[in-house]
Amino acid sequence: MARPALARWALLPVAALVFVAPQLAGGSGAAYSAAVLIAIFAVMAYGLDIIVSDLGEVSLAHTVFFAAGSYTTALLATRAGAGSWATLAASIGVALVLAGVIGLVTLRLREFVFSLVTYAVAVVAMTVAANWAFMGGSDGLRGVPLLDLSLPGLPLKAQDDRTLWPYAFGLLVAALYLVDRFRHSALGAAAVMSHLNPRLATMSGIDLARVRLQVFLVSAPISAAAGWLYAYQRAYVSADVLESYFLILMLTAVVLVGRRQLLGPLLATALVLVQEKFFSLGGDVDRIVLGSVLVLVLGFFPQGLVGLLRPLAAALRRRPAP
Amino acid sequence: MNLLQQVLNGLVMGHAYALVAIGWTLLLGVARLVNFGHGQMYMLGAFVTWWAVVKAGVPYALALPIAMACGAVLGAGMQRVMLRATFEQNLVSIMIMTLGFGYVIHGAAALVFGSTGQILDTALSRHEITLGELWITGQDLAIVVATILVFLGLRWLLDGTRIGRLVRMVAEDPKLAQLSGVDVRRVYLGVFAFEGAAVAFAAGMVAPRTPILTSMGFDEVIMTFVVVVFGGIGSVKGSYVAGVALGLFTALFGALVSPAYTTAAAFLALIALLVLRPGGLSAGAGGGVH
Repeated sequence: MARPALARWALLPVAALVFVAPQLAGGSGAAYSAAVLIAIFAVMAYGLDIIVSDLGEVSLAHTVFFAAGSYTTALLATRAGAGSWATLAASIGVALVLAGVIGLVTLRLREFVFSLVTYAVAVVAMTVAANWAFMGGSDGLRGVPLLDLSLPGLPLKAQDDRTLWPYAFGLLVAALYLVDRFRHSALGAAAVMSHLNPRLATMSGIDLARVRLQVFLVSAPISAAAGWLYAYQRAYVSADVLESYFLILMLTAVVLVGRRQLLGPLLATALVLVQEKFFSLGGDVDRIVLGSVLVLVLGFFPQGLVGLLRPLAAALRRRPAP
Repeated sequence: MNLLQQVLNGLVMGHAYALVAIGWTLLLGVARLVNFGHGQMYMLGAFVTWWAVVKAGVPYALALPIAMACGAVLGAGMQRVMLRATFEQNLVSIMIMTLGFGYVIHGAAALVFGSTGQILDTALSRHEITLGELWITGQDLAIVVATILVFLGLRWLLDGTRIGRLVRMVAEDPKLAQLSGVDVRRVYLGVFAFEGAAVAFAAGMVAPRTPILTSMGFDEVIMTFVVVVFGGIGSVKGSYVAGVALGLFTALFGALVSPAYTTAAAFLALIALLVLRPGGLSAGAGGGVH
């Protein structure tokens, strides 16, 4: 599955283009704000992407990892005055612990039982976040300071969405790199094999339970890192980070463009957020639009948008070279 | 005595849980389908009943069939979209689609009914029955009676009728059923229509106990899940027993420990069961409906 070197190099101009995209889109505060949110939510979705696309299971607990990142950051930053590096490390740590626990409990559960349990985890997490005074209860946690990743002799701070964009972009690149590395690793191959042909995987000496747990541990910190940046972007955190909006957004991001497409979740997140931020039809109608897109894509174009383009590409390729 | 009152509440709640879960029991047993939109369908059923009674002035007894008809149409429509994935047994797609449907229903209900809470009052829920120091409302009694009737009716339908035989056949082996001339497609549509109608009926019966909000439905899914899994997947009798047991558990937990965390507690009990005997569960799955 070695990727042609050319395709890898082609990513560079794409990355450059994405980086200047908010500037090209007018450079307004709204454009930067949308870009930051797209990057954050895309990173959140990449966490789920490797579970759904590679492992072939539907985890509905990824909002919990996202929320774990946000809450850990908000709690440590407001109560203990922790810096942004410390909150990032703690967010990842908490996500790993949670993923370990959820992963161990659900280790032998498959398909819908697995999904139902993870769904229940998300609902219970929401109850706890909304009721527990330690986590701010229904008011949430206010006053998260600005992002400050300064190193000795190198100030790295963000005051608003415009200055936050480079960091969001950096996080996005890091997540993409991680997902790409995962897909080209032994673990990634084992995950796909255990999903497509569990018997063959077992016969090839793959420990299915171990692979599942490991993939879970890779995936959770990605979503948690998104939650970490989201806490700084919004400056407050409340139980609404566990709302089903994030779950539906993540799932749409994973399936809209096509499974196992590296840039798929990013593109899908961008489509959804551009609609919501610039062509919004009101919260309830936006809900209907987002949910309908998700249902219709899966119901009628299970390959995603890529599936629509594939016959076209094949036709182009079949044309004899001049 | 207070404890006895809690037991009585628990029995009523338990029948309510069982009634809310019945559609999903059949769905899971027959088509191996999971419906994450179940909670939102419950919410919609409650709001349609409320709308019919309060806004359209329809008597409560007529509002219930209206809500059930809406639920059945909605269920069949959902199944129509998911048909391809159902035949492929593509559970990943089906689960995500039902989540999407739930989200759409939530948005549509908020658009139509507004996001303020409403109270669905019936003549029965205002009528209190006292028995010494114990009391229940007429609505509570109606829930218990209706649940028992629905469960007995479903058992009779599955065991004693031709439709029931077809449904059980599809549950056992859809491919073989298709080969022997059963219209599997229609059975799937019918089962999903039943799920929609049953949850709407349950909502119309149970919703008068609590304020109704368009954002509700999440707890109902968890409770339904607990009932279905505890009862043994696809087991009608098991669901009834599990529902009543769950009702007693939550009533006593709410009274003795903390009412805010009852869903969490029920869920933890379920996790314990799943971890202790995961094998029993998968053996039950796909074992048909009984």
